[in-house]
This record gives sequence, structure tokens and C-alpha cells, in this order.
Amino acid sequence: MIRETKLLSARFGQPQSWALEGFRKDGGYETWLKVLKDKRPPAELVAEVKASGLKGRGGAGFSTGTKWSFIPKGTTKPVYLCVNGDESEPGTFKDRQILELDPHQLLEGVGLTCYAIGAHTAYLYLRCEFALGLRRLQAALDEAYKAGLFGKNIQGSGFDLEVHTHIGAGAYICGEETSLLNSIEGVRPYPRNKPPFPAVEGLFGCPTIINNVETIANIPHILKRGAAWHAALGNKEDPGSRLWCVSGHVKRRGVWEIETGFRLAELIDSPDFCGGMRPGRKLKAVIPGGSSSRVLLPDEVAVATMDAPGMKQVNSSLGSAGIIVLDDSTDMVDAVLNLMRFYAHESCGQCTPCREGTPWVVKVLERIMSGHGRAEDLDLLLDLADNMEGRTVCALADGACWPLVSIVQKFRAEFLAKIRAPARAAAPAGAGA
Amino acid sequence: MKLTIDGKPLEVEPGTNVLEAAARLGIEIPHYCYHPDISADGNCRICLVQVGDATRKLPIACMLPCAEGMVVHTASPAVVKARKGVMEFLLINHPLDCTICDQAGECPLQDYSYRFGPGDSRFVEDKGKKQKHVPFSDKVLFDGERCILCTRCVRFFTELRDAKPIGVVNMGGKSTISLGPNGPIDDPYQMNIIDACPVGALTSRDFRFKQRVWFMDFAETVCPGCARGCNMTAGAYQNQLLRFTPRRNPEVNKSWMCDDGRLSYKRYNLESRTRGAVVRGQPESLERALDAVKALVGDGSRTAVLAATTLTCEELFAVKTWAAGAGVKTLWHGAASWKGDEFLKLADATPNTAGAKELGFLLAPLLPGSTTPRPAGLSVLVVAGEVAVPAALLDGLDALVIQAPAGGALAEGASVLLPGRTPLETKGTWVNATGHRQAVRPALDPGAGVPESWTLWRDLAGQRWPTLQHLQAAMAAAGSAPARKRTPSVAEQALAQPALAGNNLP
Repeated sequence: MIRETKLLSARFGQPQSWALEGFRKDGGYETWLKVLKDKRPPAELVAEVKASGLKGRGGAGFSTGTKWSFIPKGTTKPVYLCVNGDESEPGTFKDRQILELDPHQLLEGVGLTCYAIGAHTAYLYLRCEFALGLRRLQAALDEAYKAGLFGKNIQGSGFDLEVHTHIGAGAYICGEETSLLNSIEGVRPYPRNKPPFPAVEGLFGCPTIINNVETIANIPHILKRGAAWHAALGNKEDPGSRLWCVSGHVKRRGVWEIETGFRLAELIDSPDFCGGMRPGRKLKAVIPGGSSSRVLLPDEVAVATMDAPGMKQVNSSLGSAGIIVLDDSTDMVDAVLNLMRFYAHESCGQCTPCREGTPWVVKVLERIMSGHGRAEDLDLLLDLADNMEGRTVCALADGACWPLVSIVQKFRAEFLAKIRAPARAAAPAGAGA
Repeated sequence: MKLTIDGKPLEVEPGTNVLEAAARLGIEIPHYCYHPDISADGNCRICLVQVGDATRKLPIACMLPCAEGMVVHTASPAVVKARKGVMEFLLINHPLDCTICDQAGECPLQDYSYRFGPGDSRFVEDKGKKQKHVPFSDKVLFDGERCILCTRCVRFFTELRDAKPIGVVNMGGKSTISLGPNGPIDDPYQMNIIDACPVGALTSRDFRFKQRVWFMDFAETVCPGCARGCNMTAGAYQNQLLRFTPRRNPEVNKSWMCDDGRLSYKRYNLESRTRGAVVRGQPESLERALDAVKALVGDGSRTAVLAATTLTCEELFAVKTWAAGAGVKTLWHGAASWKGDEFLKLADATPNTAGAKELGFLLAPLLPGSTTPRPAGLSVLVVAGEVAVPAALLDGLDALVIQAPAGGALAEGASVLLPGRTPLETKGTWVNATGHRQAVRPALDPGAGVPESWTLWRDLAGQRWPTLQHLQAAMAAAGSAPARKRTPSVAEQALAQPALAGNNLP
């Protein structure tokens, strides 16, 4: 039976949930102060988070504790923490909830994470469209500084921590972790080639951990209640409680916090959550993890469980937990064109396959939409995807290829119908062949 | 550490990347954004290789450090297909205007298309439109549609010139290179971005549309502009120089040269020159002119030689051999200077001062910095090569002998005028400021009446060297080795910068 968990979202409904006073009343910053007071060995915290099974909430789903352990032992360089709040994945709006409704939860996580990885400087990177989130986060940060929770020699512990906010200018690519670093450094936010990975050579050439907002917000809870408690939440291979964003053609859309491992179909159908499809409509497809994941058909939705192994079974991914539900009124060619326009628009232009490939895909899809498609266009689209995926600096092109390929393959008939019986508009200029 | 590339085992030092390691085996991995003298950027994706059995993620060879036990494939089916894909992507919005593009014939985009490309395109849509023929300065023109955004030009300035006159603007498919807010590029090394550019996006306003490179003749020689001795390729058409381009030598000039040196080719297309000999204003046969020189010099005691430091060691050696036989004990060399800088340009604006010093020539008196005294009783001055002679040195002379391509103002008062060759018509050796003995080769044929300069001195000296090689043997025996042609290593050949015509002569 699917039910909500109130962990990250526990305080979301409270009045002034973003203010320090209420947060402390609810036990906020206790873990932070205790860690400082007990002078817990940082390695212990890293081990705890590793054992908790927490996976990154930004999209890639990499083990957080493992990532932390990549910081070179005994490095003489400063270590940085960057928090990725450039939430731009289509269909994703969960970090925004944390930033606007419980920013202190994030800040406590920032303190604990910095302590664990040995960082004395943290950058909180927010997209500029998060005006309210930024205001509340900045106010919370100011409060926390005033209360002596950050700064020099915090609470006499000898631990220094400076936390800065940094505002992006609205580019999707800045959510790519190394683009984010370049953006903070003030250079063109091109993704960097890896290796070296940021944990070794990141911000200003120093070891850097980049974690998603929701990931960091989990840290105080894990360190308060212990790794075993967290590991027991939801699916045991991909444990924890996540904020799920549902958008699209369901009766109720929104963000719900649920432990992993529930059935996707239940979320969509349950009257306590999405409440089923719009009246008279049938489910056609679900994009389960933000737009950069492979589309699921209704029979896959019926069996899919929302956790990493469950998604692997249906050859998709949880990504950023942005669930986009599409009903039978959806023109899948138009839908994928809409998505591909996004990727072509947001491609940074650094490397060849993505810079040239994503606009090409858009042009082919536009041609099909305008009634000038050719049967060979479908194989062309699949082959272009094959020439992009895994051939680029970052994962943006991969993220474009997954929905593209899965939609073309799973809705081939719909494409062919458009090509064979074109609703012909004026030919776009230059559409030869 | 040990690894294998295409089944061939290889041992490299840690830190070597796969592209360079493959080059050592003579395996060429195609590359656009990688340049041996600029740090790797990894944006073009043409150098994708396969490591082990992983065919989905193909790393780029230019930024892939070799690792112990690594098994690299540079021509597996996945790599071949991925390269074709990248070539196709690079060309879909490229104007394919090779027929009117200066780069044609020395363009890796063309070369790799033939070797690694799919041969055709599946792109039937409209090509993207970008800005064309944008002046980046009075020397460089930019074509946005031809550009493949490898950013070598941007990185040349940021890394080697500590400047940002140009950069990338816009995003995605609309990305292009643009001038910065400070207006046209004014860097004295800016023309290097033309050669660094692997396509026809940056062209030289000086060379533009002058000639198709496959009709031109090329000589691998050395820039005569200063004592750095930048290796360069002199390109000519019908015996007229059209351009100098740098030729890579990692020890001397890497892949670069200064714009002044590059544009100095114009100086060597002589409008008028000395052909045959002139004695006291009258044309004369070379033999009789040489006799006249002998008569003027006499026992040599009142004669001094002033040689230009643009002469080759071989020419200087011939002069010196003659002087020794003729009893001339005073051997001077000239000098010329300009403003040097911190990059390549040296203040000594001649290419062979070190060679002249090595052969025992002293800096002529009255020149800046000279401590050489002017001997008393000097009455005959023999000037070899084009050199500025201090006016006071001419005072009280009875006779002036000049051997030079063009006599200039001095020629009017010359007793004997002998023909000479410019550095671009000469074969021999220069020794640069860092002691590199570099081979100079002729790009032009001066035509009738201008024999190789060293032969005049040989004849004056009564030597019998039938060829330059014989002279060089004598020179080597006297302790001054001639240059050998520098043979680039296998690795360097495989890493050759964009196929500048003439850089890979057989």
C-alpha cells in the first residue's frame, strides 16, 4: 500500500517553515552541533553515509558516501562542497520545495557534509529563476551565521566553514556538475572532460564534491538516526525517501514524499496521490525520471517499481524523480519534438555530436510533423542517436537520446502513420529529398 | 607503464595520452581540436578510441591518459562508425565551399573526409547560417560557417599570448567565434591562428585568393627575420614568394612565428637586382670582375671584410677561406636589430650572428655595442651580403667591393659590384641564438647572372670545391659542422599539425 513519508517534507506545511526559530524547535541543527561538540572523526561520517545506501538525487544515482570517499586522502589543497540547485530537468521541481520551504534542513546538511569531507568553503548554486528559493535560502543563511552556526571557529569547535550562494543565469547545462564548477569560476560553463573527476580536480583545480540539494537535505536525517535506519527505508538496494514530482495528464499533479520501492501504477491510480488519469483518457506513456529517461509503455508502468533495480528491469531510470504522465491525447511525435527542442536549445555547443546532432534531430522531427517525413527518417533518427550517445563530453546528448530512441522505437507506428498519411503543411524551406 | 594499441605493445611514461602514445607507434589518430603546442580541449570528438570491449562510451584519445595494461583500439568497428558520425556532424552545416576556400588542399576537414568520412551526407535540411567574412583584424578574416568550433584560435591567445581578443559566443548550434569588446585583434603573433585553424574559417587577408596551394612550390627553410630562426615553409608560385608559414620544431619555435617574419616574404621578391658584375659602373664578366677585386685587395694588409649575418655559414666560410689566402686579416660581421619580445622575436634581426662569430668574424667597428677598433690605414672594404655599413667606416676608403643581391645606395660608389643571392635563394646553414644549426633551402631561383654566392669566393680563393657538399666537408674539417635536415620523429609526423601544404614534402 502506497503512503507518504514525512521526512524531508516533514515541516513543509508549517507556518514560517523556512525560519530558524521553528527549525530549531523541531530539533534542527542538533546533529550539526553534536558532531562539532563531539569532534566526531570525519571518516566516521563518510562511512555512515556510505552504509546508509543513500544515492544521489540529482539524476545519476551514484552512491553519495562512495563519492565522498574519492577525495584524495591527505590532500594539501582546500576541499570544496558545491550544492547543485540548478534544478532544470523538465518535469522536476523537488529541490525548489526544499529551498523554499525548509532551507535550514539543507544548510544543516551542508555543514555536516563539509565536516565529513573536510571542506571549509561551500557554494550553493541556484538557478536564477528560483527567486523565492534564493531569498529564503539567503535569509536562512544569514540567520544561521548570526546564530553562530557557520563562520570561523563554529561554537568553539575549531571548525571553520564559509557558505556562499551563487546564482546561475538560467542554462540547463549549468546543472551538469563540471559546468556548474566553470560557472562558479566565472568562465563559459562548458562541461569538462573527465577524468580528472571533480573529487580529485574540481573547483579552482581543488578536490570538490558536488551534491544535489535533496541529497544534502538527507544527510542530517541519516546522521541523526543512523545508517541502518536509512538503509531500511523502501527498497533495500536503493533505499530512502524521495520527493517525487508528478506532472502531465493526471487528475492531481504535485510533489509527494514516498519511500522508494512503490509501484508506479499505484501512484498514478491512487486517489490519495494522482487520482488516476483525466476523465475519459487512457494512459499512453510515462517518462519516469525527468525528461532524460527512457519512456515507459502502460504494460511497463503496470509492473514498474520506483527504485533503481525496478527501473533497470524496464530499461529506464529514476533520474531526478520527475514523473511525466502522458495520456492517449498525446501526439508522441510532437511530444518528442518538444523534448528535442529543449535539448537542442540547451546544448552548450562545445562538442560536435551534441552541437550538430541535437538541432539535426529537431529538423527531422519538424519535417515529419509538417508532413514531409520519409520512411528512412526513423532509422536516421536512431542512427543519429547512436552517433551521439556516449560520444560527447557530458551526458546532455545521452539524456536527449534516451527519450528519443525509446519513443521512436516504442511508437514507431505513430511516426509511420504520420509519414504515410501526411497532414501536409507548407514544405519547410530546403526540405529536399 | 605498458599498454597495447591496435595489438602493438608499447611502454610509455605516466602522463602520456593515448593520442601521443599511438603516434609513437606511427598510428595516426585523427584530431582537430588537439594541437601539439596548445593544451588539449577535447571538443571535436574525432579522436574517439575504444578501450577494451566498451563500445558505448568511447573516450577521446587526446585526453585519455595511458594506464597500465590498457588495451586500445583505434580502428575497431565502433570507432570507425563513431568517426564517420563525427565527420558527418562536422559537415552538415559546413558550406562545403572548397572550390572557393583558401584552405582547400591543406585542409584536414577535406583530408579526414576522404580517409575517415562516410563519403556522403544524410542531411537534407537547410544548413545553419552564420556570419561570414568577418574581419578579425587587418590580417585575419573569419568565416563562421566554415568554423568547426575547435577553439584552437581562442586557446592560442589565452594560453600563449595571455589575451582574450576572441571567444565563443552564443550556445549550441548557434555557437560561433567572435571578437571581444576591445575591437580588432592587434597581437603581433595573431596570424598563427590562421595555421592553427584546421579548416578555412580563419584565412590570411594577405594570402587570400592569391593561389591554390597545389599549384605552389614549397621550401622547408628558416625565417631570416631574426636570430630565433623559426622553422618555416616558404611558398612560391612561378618564382614569386606568396607566403611564409611556420613549420613545427619543438625545440625552436614550436608551431609559431611572428607576423613580421611571416609577412617579410615580400622583401625577397626583388624588383631590381644585380645580375652579372659591374666594375666602376660598367658591366663586366664575372672573371674579370674577380680579377679586379684581386688587384684592389693586393696583399690584403689594408683590406677589411664586412659580412652580413644573413649569409650562411658556408658563404662565410668561403669568404674566410679567400680572406686567409689573400692576406686579409680583418673579418667583421654586420648587425641589425629590431625590438624583440618575450615570445619568439629576438632583438638581433639577423639569422646567423652565432654562425659568424663561430667562424671568427668580429662585430664591425662603429656599430652599437661594438668594441672592435677601426684599424689604421684601411683603404679597401669588401662588403659581402646586404648589410648596413656605418657611414664613418667608408671615410677615406680607396675602394669598395660589394657582393649583394641589390647594391642599394652604396652601389653607386662601389668599385666592384658582384651579384649575390637573398636568403630565400640560398642553400646552407644558419646557427640561431640558441645554437641550433639549421638547414636553409632555396625557395626561389634568381635566374641568370646570379651564381650561388659561395662560388664567387671559391673562385677568388682559387679553391676547387665542385659542390656545396665539398665546401661543407672542408668546413666540417675546420670545426664548423653544417646543418643536417631535421627529421621529425615518427611521433611528430603522426602528430603533424593541420596538413599545411609543404609541411610534409616527400
